[in-house]
Amino acid sequence: MNALSVSDLHVKINESHILHGVTFDVPAHKVTALLGRNGVGKSTTLKGILGLYPGTGSVQLNGREIIGVPTYKIVQSGIAYVPEDREIFSSLSVRENLTLASRSKDNGAAFATIFELFPELDTRATQIAGSLSGGQQQMVAIARALLNKNEVLLIDEPTKGLAPKLVTEVASALSKVANETTMLLVEQNLALVKRIAHHVVVMDQGRVVFQGGPENLNDPAWVHQMLGVSGGHK
Amino acid sequence: METFILIGITGIGLGALYFLIASGLSLIYGLMGVLNFAHGSFLTVGAFVGFWVASKMGFETSMPEFILAMLVGGLAAGLFALLIEQLLITRLYDRHIDQALVTVGVSLVVGAVLGGWFGNDLRMFPAPLWFLSAIDIGGAKIPADRVVYIATAVLLLVGNWALLKFTRIGLIIRAGVENRNMVNALGINVRRAFSTVFFLGGFAAGVGGVLVSVYSNGVSPLIAATYLIYGFIVVVIGGMGSVPGSFLAAMMIGVIRQFANYYATGLGDFVVVILLAVVLLIRPQGLLGKVRS
Amino acid sequence: MLRWKYSRPLLGLLIALLALAPILGANPLSRPGLQQTMAVAFIWGGLALTYDLLFGFTGLLSFGHALYFATGVYVSCILINHEVVVWWLAALISIAVSALLALLVGAASLRTTGITFAMVTLAFGEAGHVIIQRNFFNLTGGENGIALNADRIPSLFISVANTKFIYWAALAALIFTYAVIWWVTESSAGRVFAALRDNELRVQVLGLNTQRYKLLAFVISAALAALLGAVMLIAAGSAAPRFADAGVTISLLLMVVLGGAVTRWGAVIGGIFYSIATTRMQDLTQQESFKTIPKWIGGPIAEPALVLGLLFIFVVMFAPGGLSGAYYRLRLRAITKKSQ
Repeated sequence: MNALSVSDLHVKINESHILHGVTFDVPAHKVTALLGRNGVGKSTTLKGILGLYPGTGSVQLNGREIIGVPTYKIVQSGIAYVPEDREIFSSLSVRENLTLASRSKDNGAAFATIFELFPELDTRATQIAGSLSGGQQQMVAIARALLNKNEVLLIDEPTKGLAPKLVTEVASALSKVANETTMLLVEQNLALVKRIAHHVVVMDQGRVVFQGGPENLNDPAWVHQMLGVSGGHK
Repeated sequence: METFILIGITGIGLGALYFLIASGLSLIYGLMGVLNFAHGSFLTVGAFVGFWVASKMGFETSMPEFILAMLVGGLAAGLFALLIEQLLITRLYDRHIDQALVTVGVSLVVGAVLGGWFGNDLRMFPAPLWFLSAIDIGGAKIPADRVVYIATAVLLLVGNWALLKFTRIGLIIRAGVENRNMVNALGINVRRAFSTVFFLGGFAAGVGGVLVSVYSNGVSPLIAATYLIYGFIVVVIGGMGSVPGSFLAAMMIGVIRQFANYYATGLGDFVVVILLAVVLLIRPQGLLGKVRS
Repeated sequence: MLRWKYSRPLLGLLIALLALAPILGANPLSRPGLQQTMAVAFIWGGLALTYDLLFGFTGLLSFGHALYFATGVYVSCILINHEVVVWWLAALISIAVSALLALLVGAASLRTTGITFAMVTLAFGEAGHVIIQRNFFNLTGGENGIALNADRIPSLFISVANTKFIYWAALAALIFTYAVIWWVTESSAGRVFAALRDNELRVQVLGLNTQRYKLLAFVISAALAALLGAVMLIAAGSAAPRFADAGVTISLLLMVVLGGAVTRWGAVIGGIFYSIATTRMQDLTQQESFKTIPKWIGGPIAEPALVLGLLFIFVVMFAPGGLSGAYYRLRLRAITKKSQ
């Protein structure tokens, strides 16, 4: 059963064609990693799914077509998004960031779960989000996505620019969540991908060039050819 | 010393009028990226509707009657702003230049209609008589109407602050000023915040219109022009999207302008423009504005 | 861009006709009244074109363009009236002053972009308007403006019978403006302007200093506006604060949008049409038959701003590209039909 099916997705931004018919599936209750070199269109694919960039083709959420639907409705129907550069609201407090994201009035339990996962956010609830460290900001961004009941989580490079200690922290939070939800994860950190991904999609120049299991990630030659990195950490 | 206080308070009173128009301009621009040239028409519409209400009461009004005229004027301007937003602005979603152009068109049409109906001569606004009396502050005789302007501006600032701080729509507006797309990506229809901001901006401008017509000794379709331009200057200096920034800049400009004019008539406008140039060179994002990514 | 193969010879013929009309026997253009109207219309056409260089070709939404036009009018007038220099040198100096002013204002305001730029240029433009109204050093004559001292300019430009010389001066200024802007926009700098409008980042990536190119467009446009201002001074016979009003820039915006940006001829036609329309509409509303219309409709219609404002809103909402845009759409349709 696929939670999300993307087929023949095209996205143009200011006349330049970024996605040339992207097609792949995201199986339900699994973690799918979306990999590829820089600039091949991974982030654009996530934004295209969300309708943040207008696209053509088909994107189905549990069998329902969502292409052309306004972004806020797509999100309400159960897709949560953790963007590449966190994009938390830096002038709002941590609590305000979370309150804004929460779509149900009765959110006490959800907040409790979040604070259990990220105890640091509880102690810093009244702090202005812009003054948080990069890692803490990433926690806010992830917490924001976990506050509501969602079908699919789209997460874009959650460990980008974080210190190694924080990478571990974010990674463990993600693997805790990974057991309970469907996730589409864009990530450069192959160690993290190997640890939590069940399914791998590789993109190149605006197209999908590989779909399959994560075993290939253990083959350095394959990794070098597909991702242009020498395997292991990057 | 008395002269100093008099000029200072008159300056703050003038700044209060600038703030009433700048607060809406700033929020509308900050949230939606719309440069709203129709904001002057909101002011004029508010002034004329307020004038209509006040003239029903006779040649002068009591304070409650004046407040009623002010509220009705504000409400009419707010609804008018909402109409413009729904009818024209939303259809040009994210086409910022076209949105600015359409608001230019609106200001022309409103000016023509009001000018055609009422002519461009000033009509005396029936204000409470005690506006003309003087209040003694530190030995200086302050015209009472200045105090009314300042009080209204402070009330609106506090109301604005409370709305932005304590309500959900306020939270959405603050977040939207920072990053509109991300608000959408959290499952919130940010367009509803647009309408709120247009209504509120129109309301403040309409209330400002009634006060401006008292200050300029009457209503006419032409009273808005200078205030709109000063509103723009205030918004640029204060920082786009920052209401407190607008307040600070409005007061600053009002006071500086009055003091400069005291030493040489007309010097005030000149000094304000120099100030604008200096702010742009040192801090292009304005006093309390944020650098946009 | 879509071109029509007869457009150049036809344009030449049109210019020749317009130039010769005042001395070509009896025709409407041999009447001084229409010559005067057309002279003013040509100046507006030229001004609209200088505005198109900013707004259409470079993507700079300036609301302070009136400042440079007014600089041309006022600096020329002051220099001539105070007998500082001979009239043509006065015009040249006013152009230089305007260019210098644009350099300074542009350097400050181009630190901002987009809508902020619009607000900032508006503020500078209004400052100029205010300074003129305040009559500093008794130079600008305040609200009343200053009348041009007719003794100090060639007698050719004086008296109603000589209106045709004003007409020719205005036509020449328009053609000169058109030629300069054609040359600028077709040159390599012009390509950069267009690229700036479409995608500034890309131009920056190419290693070009985008600020300098924008400033260049700003200064050229200001210099040409001052030239047209100097011609306007002769046509109007006086320098008045209305030339510095923000309304001037808004009218220019209207002309360019109605005529269609980036086509050059669209802006010119837009300017000429707008200028004639506002004069004609005022004449029309003076007529007796107009007075029978009830005041609540007739009043607003008597204001040219109503029709123009509505037309403007309509064009922005439903007919982007204005008149010339509509023309090219029709041509495109005709061509595709033929090729099928």
